[in-house]
Amino acid sequence: MVAGVFHSVAKQYDVMNDLMSFGIHRLWKRFTIDASGVRPGNSVLDLAGGTGDLTAKFSQLVGKDGKVVLADINSSMLNVGRDKLRDKGLVQNIKYVQANAQYLPFEDNTFDIVTIAFGLRNVTDQDMALRSIYRVLKPGGRLLILEFSKPEHELLNKAYDFYSFNILPKMGELVAKDGDSYQYLAESIRMHPNQETLKSMMDNAGFEQTSFKNLTGGVVALHKGYKF
Amino acid sequence: MLQQVFTASIELLINKVLALNTEKIDLKKLEQKTLSIFLSELKFPISLTINANKILVSGLTENVDCTVKTSIKTLQVLKAEQQLTELIKQNKLDLTGDIKVAQQFMQLAESLNIDWQSELASHIGDVPTHKLMQLGKRVAGKLQFASKQIKADASEYLVHEQRLVVTRSELEAFNQQVSQVSKHVDNISTRLDALTKGYSNT
Repeated sequence: MVAGVFHSVAKQYDVMNDLMSFGIHRLWKRFTIDASGVRPGNSVLDLAGGTGDLTAKFSQLVGKDGKVVLADINSSMLNVGRDKLRDKGLVQNIKYVQANAQYLPFEDNTFDIVTIAFGLRNVTDQDMALRSIYRVLKPGGRLLILEFSKPEHELLNKAYDFYSFNILPKMGELVAKDGDSYQYLAESIRMHPNQETLKSMMDNAGFEQTSFKNLTGGVVALHKGYKF
Repeated sequence: MLQQVFTASIELLINKVLALNTEKIDLKKLEQKTLSIFLSELKFPISLTINANKILVSGLTENVDCTVKTSIKTLQVLKAEQQLTELIKQNKLDLTGDIKVAQQFMQLAESLNIDWQSELASHIGDVPTHKLMQLGKRVAGKLQFASKQIKADASEYLVHEQRLVVTRSELEAFNQQVSQVSKHVDNISTRLDALTKGYSNT
């Protein structure tokens, strides 16, 4: 079902992200880049990278000596991402891989940084995915998870619920001609673990110095963990 | 996320300015180099990274080529690359890392030459641009005059009305009095030494 959703929304994914978040998703992603500590020469895995927003920035920051792998389980999203990045002239240090986060097809200790932005909530077995990510990270490497989470204040939570369940599906219907997919989006966000639970899951997977930072009042959270 | 709003805006502005430059700028010398600037007025750093003839602005601070710590006031004064070492000597600017990177970024800023009039004219027409430029010059002149006037009035107010600050002549008179007292003290000290010596000899 999830695959169907993303095949359906792939072409309008970027437009819808801008509309639904009023462009704020770009700031959330900037925050993630700033928190990553990425350097020239680094190897980065942008998991569930979809249409390549983070990959584009990482590609420019790691330079010709670094590499970025854009991985996504969904071929439609990957194709849109590839076309977009090639149109931007970003070809040199990016590889595209169709991969399942639970069974990453990379050697152990491959990447300096793994990011997964707004993708973890769509993974069936998140614990398995976290263990798989841990395996492919180099010692000293870090994982950054940018994901919708639980708002800090009750009033914001109520407003957010109203927006997610009443406005988003209508926007989806109008712009992407697919209200059901955006209904799924709202529901998947509510099913996702909250900040503390996800932090514990990262600890259980072996990550150390795990932490999280709430963004936009907790509507989104950035979790970070290291492999030592 | 104020930092991200700021860096996103600066990035857009800088690359727009680069694109408007009358001559194409080659950033190959600075490819993949990062300059990180810490301004005392801001709580976060601004890092400039060159990639494929574009400038990326972020908050990354690890593994940067050069770090500069200064203030907005000092940056406004910094007009030429030669001033860098002078400002470092005056402790107005603290630089760690490769000074060449900072100098090359300075050269880049110095080499910017934008024909704002042509650019504006292409959007609103020649005559409105000309009138706007004239208006701009008049407003800038008036603001400069007003600023000088305010400074002078404030100085007068502090010195003569509120008497919170002394005048130059009062300060000089005070300094003179201090010098005189110091001279008297030296004289007394010399006489005391002479008396003490005379007493110990007897």
